[in-house]
Amino acid sequence: MSSAFSLRLASALAGLALLVAGCGPSDAPSSAAKGAAATPAAANAGTSVMETDLAKTLQAEAEFYVFKTAADVPTGLKWENGADLPEFADPKAKKGGTFRYEISDFPRTIRTIGPDATGGIRPYLLDYVEPAFINAHPNVPGGAYPGLLTDWAVSADGKMIYYHIDPKARWSDGKPLTTDDVLFTFYFMRSPHLNEPWYNDYYKKNYTQLIIFDKLTFATAHPERKPDLPVRVGNFVPYPRHAFQDFAADWIEKFQWRELPKLGAYQVFAKDIDKGRSVTLTRIKDWWAADKRFFRGRFNPDRYQLDVIRDPDKAVEAFARGDLDIIPLGLPKYWYETIPDTHPEVAAGRIVRFKFYNQTPRPDWGLWINRAKPVLDNRDVRTGIQYATNFALVCSQFFRGDAEQMQTRSDGYGWRMHPTIAARPFDPKVAREYFAKAGFTTQGADGVLTNAAGQRLSFTITSAGQAQRDVLQILKEEALKAGLEYKLEILDATTGWKKMQEKNHDIALAALSRSVELYPRYWEMYHGSNAYNDAYTKDGKNAKSALGSEANPKPKQVVVQTNNMTMTYLPELDRLIEAYDKAETLDEIKKLAAQIEQIIHDDAAWVPGWQRPFLRGGYWRYVKWPQGFNVAQARDMEEFFVHWIDLEEKKEVEAARKSGRSYPNALQVFDQFKRQ
Amino acid sequence: MTRHFPFFRFNPQTQKKLQRFRSIRRGYVSFLILATAVVLSIAGELLVNSRALVVRYEGRWYFPTYGRIHTGKEFGLDYAYEVNYRDLRARFAKEPAGNNWLLLPPVPYNPIENCYAGETFRPRPPDWGTTHYLGTDQINRDILARLVYGFRNALVFAAAFILLTYLVGITLGCLMGYFGGWFDLLVQRLIEVWSNIPFLFVVIIVASIVPAGIGMNLGVLLFIVVLFSWTGMTYYMRSATYREKARDYVHAAQVLGAGTPRIIFKHILPNVLSTIVTFIPFTIASSISALTALDFLGFGLPPPTPSWGELLRQGTSNLQSPWIVASAFSALVLVLVLVTFIGEAIREAFDPKKFTTYQ
Repeated sequence: MSSAFSLRLASALAGLALLVAGCGPSDAPSSAAKGAAATPAAANAGTSVMETDLAKTLQAEAEFYVFKTAADVPTGLKWENGADLPEFADPKAKKGGTFRYEISDFPRTIRTIGPDATGGIRPYLLDYVEPAFINAHPNVPGGAYPGLLTDWAVSADGKMIYYHIDPKARWSDGKPLTTDDVLFTFYFMRSPHLNEPWYNDYYKKNYTQLIIFDKLTFATAHPERKPDLPVRVGNFVPYPRHAFQDFAADWIEKFQWRELPKLGAYQVFAKDIDKGRSVTLTRIKDWWAADKRFFRGRFNPDRYQLDVIRDPDKAVEAFARGDLDIIPLGLPKYWYETIPDTHPEVAAGRIVRFKFYNQTPRPDWGLWINRAKPVLDNRDVRTGIQYATNFALVCSQFFRGDAEQMQTRSDGYGWRMHPTIAARPFDPKVAREYFAKAGFTTQGADGVLTNAAGQRLSFTITSAGQAQRDVLQILKEEALKAGLEYKLEILDATTGWKKMQEKNHDIALAALSRSVELYPRYWEMYHGSNAYNDAYTKDGKNAKSALGSEANPKPKQVVVQTNNMTMTYLPELDRLIEAYDKAETLDEIKKLAAQIEQIIHDDAAWVPGWQRPFLRGGYWRYVKWPQGFNVAQARDMEEFFVHWIDLEEKKEVEAARKSGRSYPNALQVFDQFKRQ
Repeated sequence: MTRHFPFFRFNPQTQKKLQRFRSIRRGYVSFLILATAVVLSIAGELLVNSRALVVRYEGRWYFPTYGRIHTGKEFGLDYAYEVNYRDLRARFAKEPAGNNWLLLPPVPYNPIENCYAGETFRPRPPDWGTTHYLGTDQINRDILARLVYGFRNALVFAAAFILLTYLVGITLGCLMGYFGGWFDLLVQRLIEVWSNIPFLFVVIIVASIVPAGIGMNLGVLLFIVVLFSWTGMTYYMRSATYREKARDYVHAAQVLGAGTPRIIFKHILPNVLSTIVTFIPFTIASSISALTALDFLGFGLPPPTPSWGELLRQGTSNLQSPWIVASAFSALVLVLVLVTFIGEAIREAFDPKKFTTYQ
């Protein structure tokens, strides 16, 4: 399910993924008449631990949880509902059948939040299947469509969003979705019982107020205006208040395997959890959003069976045998050798191989050079390293041309963040010129350059996990041509990430996964306050901001557990990043991003690695897809659930396998979203 | 060998045992084969290497095998890194004058180079035309070269491993057997606790958290493995020493005023030597297996160090290229079988029962 190139660990540890889950209200009366003033007390307040605590919280945080009446909703708001945007699924898709796919590990829980909840199963329980209040349109950058809403509006000052809940929205147990659930969701996400400091912090920092107007209308307030604010803050999923009556500090154990009501098309029943072997989702009959715009033609199979297959090689074999319906074939090995176009099922046209160019921000594979280390603090050395690192060879010959070298840190966003910057080519001669500038002029007996002090031009590359072993060995051999020695240190994933996040590496080969967003983030990776605690001081105390504070020329206190793995600390860059984070229009954001990218490029502390601009894999002929195969922002082929099974054709294909009948076969290439 | 060895002077009985070893054909032949392989691998640079043995260029002689690198510039090429001698040979062959020439080893590849510069990285099957006798691995490295150097690394590892584990094991075992009493009891309990720690898991854990700055290398790996492997030997040495200690010659030595070290190393140790000797081949086998297992799991030597475990690993994940796994597997089985044959022969030759007649 995750593409071969993507580093699951990177996503787990990067802390960048913004797939925000939400929470929900209780068994509110279904009348939910507009106009009636909402009250903080729910129907069963005081009857459960959770309700008692919730009531207490509402009192204690009265400035955050605000209750008004429907009459208080401002008039003159411009309500939006994505009506002008095209749908992206095929409304003619057929429902039915059991779809079979794999997960690489049995989940430790079916909770979607809390400890252990970010496993490989979560996309199928939350991220891919549950509609959020507001969703980003996967084909139109900047576009949004309502999920649990009928429409939404942005306030005049751009810092507040108003929401109309869709009155048809129902939990899978038949209870309607109301603002009680929204209220609970915020309480839940901000609760210390949740055991998720990241979510606690996120819901406190990014939401300054929740206003409940009536059972179906609410609003959220935010500290800053942003061009994509509705998607940024409205992209959360509520939790059902009535199913969390026993939510308390001990909820984690209790909810480990509990069936919960869902708003999405699929539900997991306890009977469908085959411990250690598989988890099966069941499509909800008469799902409330089945005919809603943007949901028509999606979530088609009746059952979605996820078998646990721990070894990726075996998963590919299982697909070829017909035990799975689709398979990603990202690795060249699988694509060219395990299931090549000469494979009998492919040659007979029963398995279809496809290549689909998508448009998503790529994991930023590359070398992260630690500027705080001796010798590496010299920009000429870093620039030399850029010329001495042959990612071009890795892309063309190891990935067999399937991957391209990245040019800037931000490839894959809706437009180029900088029009002209390009990765520096591999050129040992130029690299040696830069190394010579830094004093490395003599070549030792083993071909490694040394400086006058006898110091060798030798650095350790740290990597977390075995996956990039071959890439590292190729880089090492090539770098020696420029007189540069790379020593390789392949640690296990956890230890490796710890070392990088504590900034103990010389150079790291790593990537942070990035969620689909309109424009990239820089603060986490490049702001000086994520490198040194004492980077900036104000009134004698450490400050987080470069604005109005004093830059410390020789900071010493390294900050650990941040993504500034290059230890970049450039006051000029920090000021730009802060302006960028405050920028309110897209034009301003683009202008600042170009300047930031230029500085990052000149500073040469990140060697652009590779990216793969497409998804590829195979599917059995009876799996059907909309015209054009998928949406532009699909990171996995099943992510938007636009596929369906043609049951008649499935029977035919099964008969054909026995009789040996074949179909016309051709590689399916979908390049409508390919970027030139 | 038998007469001037400082500590151990082989007595006629031992000489007889060696003679008997020679007469056990299977073991002796295995020994000869393995010994040849060891000698060849020590001279590996002369047989399997990308560097030329001799270069004659513009009237000068070069012997690049050992020593510093020779850059492309030294041979009239435009690059400052190590010259590619195979390309150089091709260039010399084209020159009309023919004064320049070079001689490459029989397998002209080193174990860490990409043999197909500029071409796709993928396993290539054995091909005698290109002198890749066992094919290449998934990043175009010659498998034979990796096998040879991997063998040498394994041997160095095994030799050092034996030296260290026996040093600790014998010393402690002899002391336990010789002193007995509370010392024996205490150390035995410690050893029991220590040897109950699951070896492979601990090695994996330790290997993955080797502190920054030291880095994983042969020495560190050896230290970790020895740390958990010395206990086995102590049991045998302890009981052998116990037995010998009760003999009259030990009492005689004590009466004559010999000190503890002298008694242990001069009198007792030569008499328990046969126990040690019979264990050596099996220790070699187990240390090679341990190194291979660790490399297979990815916790062994850092890449790109050639190793059999790493080859096995590549092989099992590239089953559509069977020559990788076949080469590594055959080599491993062959060496382990040879070592086992030698071990059996030694055990038989040193078996005291041979000289006893049962009625």
